[in-house]
Amino acid sequence: MDPRNMRDMRTPLARAMGLGSAKEGVGAWWAERVSAVALVPLALWFAASIIAHTGSDYATFIVWLRTPLAAILMILLLIALFYHTALGLQVVIEDYVHSTTKFAAVIAVRLGCCALATAGVVAILRIALSG
Amino acid sequence: MIIKSSDQVSRATLLKRFPIPRNFGVASESRIERGKAWPAPDGATRTKIFEIYRYNPDSGENPRLDTFDVDLDDCGPMVLDALIWIKNKVDSTLTFRRSCREGICGSCSMNIDGTNWLACTRFISDLATPATIYPLANLRIVKDLVPDLTHLFAQYAAIEPWLKTKTTEPERERLQSARERRKIDGYYECILCFCCTSGCPSHWWNGDRFFGPAVLLQAWRWLTDSRDEAKEERLDNLEDPFRLYRCHTILNCTRTCPKGLNPGKAIAEIKKMMIERRS
Amino acid sequence: MMPSPTITRPRPLSPNIQIYRPQLTSVLSILNRITGIILSGCAVVLVVWLVAAAWGPHAYAPVQAAIASWIGRIVLFGATFAFFLHLCGGIRHLVWDTVHGFELRSIYISGWSIVAASVVLTVAAWVVSALMGG
Repeated sequence: MDPRNMRDMRTPLARAMGLGSAKEGVGAWWAERVSAVALVPLALWFAASIIAHTGSDYATFIVWLRTPLAAILMILLLIALFYHTALGLQVVIEDYVHSTTKFAAVIAVRLGCCALATAGVVAILRIALSG
Repeated sequence: MIIKSSDQVSRATLLKRFPIPRNFGVASESRIERGKAWPAPDGATRTKIFEIYRYNPDSGENPRLDTFDVDLDDCGPMVLDALIWIKNKVDSTLTFRRSCREGICGSCSMNIDGTNWLACTRFISDLATPATIYPLANLRIVKDLVPDLTHLFAQYAAIEPWLKTKTTEPERERLQSARERRKIDGYYECILCFCCTSGCPSHWWNGDRFFGPAVLLQAWRWLTDSRDEAKEERLDNLEDPFRLYRCHTILNCTRTCPKGLNPGKAIAEIKKMMIERRS
Repeated sequence: MMPSPTITRPRPLSPNIQIYRPQLTSVLSILNRITGIILSGCAVVLVVWLVAAAWGPHAYAPVQAAIASWIGRIVLFGATFAFFLHLCGGIRHLVWDTVHGFELRSIYISGWSIVAASVVLTVAAWVVSALMGG
């Protein structure tokens, strides 16, 4: 027990145990993996589609996005992408931010991803269902 | 290029350290200052320069980096031999932990040329010029190369590293088949040198709450021991976003283990068991 | 009243990232994180692009022009490399989650493979894109 670095007088064991185990954590880990597995084919499909449409004009692009397959896969891509992004960024914030700002940052990231995903899905639906 | 076992020292390297300032993000009491250049030995033909981290708690000064010239013809082949030579012939205040000198006690773990290893099993001929010796990374320093391992051992105690049973004791041994016994191979051999934990960036940033590879490897050792009857309790105690899930499979641990063990794999096994118990 | 203890100086912390050697393990791991953060930014751009497309050609044109500008192309090239590195790195992580490929030799072989694969895929993507009429 070294007084030189002690912020408090807890025993080392008490400091190591902290507030105890949260008894949860596997859920977020599993969700990140499931969304990753979904993203592998979806993201590759998206990249291939973008490459195939290089140089296309606006009208061609809209026609493609109107096809049911493209619309559905794009929506699935956005859902998987923002779910994975939210989980990943939360882990990054928890790693590096240790003040109470951490909670605000995590909330901001989660809500931001929800908002962006919704905006994207609405945009796709607007394109797919109009005309 | 392709490392086959952890005792291989990387020959070529793009970067010896991350491209950040030497005292980047370092608190004022930890700033390393330029130190003494100790005199070279007389009449020595083969010498090697060692830069060694020094800290004297009684001097009121900051840590510093001292430079020593070691006579290689007068000392044994391992880094520990060089440290003992320096202590005997040049500066008797050089302080470090050591005991078995054969890589089994775990006392002399330190950061040699940027990676954690045991001083007694690292050949001097494998070192760069000049060789740099620091204490184990990210630990409070008692003196010179002696780190304070109190918190690491407290984290070890927190996983209750002993056999926990509920059924009454048998007349003789608790039985275990040969195949069951093999499950703890690669995990029971850990000498608690903490090279892995000290080399884990996640433990650097979250070491107060993240258990680290050494402790988690031991946690797996008890989880996979067929005689143990407290799996549920052990898994409950580990299932925490910090205690277990700060591991992002960086794998510095497996790269640096001086006993060739695989903490990264042990942690992956724990995570797999976590999923298996709820699906 | 208890006498106050002498304030002794706190023990210094031994250096960590300042002196620890960058190795394939730690470098690829931090690159996976950095590319992930870059791709989060790209996700925002993706939504901006989709919303612009949904709102009509007048909104879409400036967004498309920005992407097609020379700065936009450089950023897109970087983003492509980040995408493939994170994709290959992510697959490597998924394999590890099945508790395979943890021997040091496998770690190093898979590590160098994803670097090579990312470079090849990035170049291939841009070559094909150029051939498609970019």
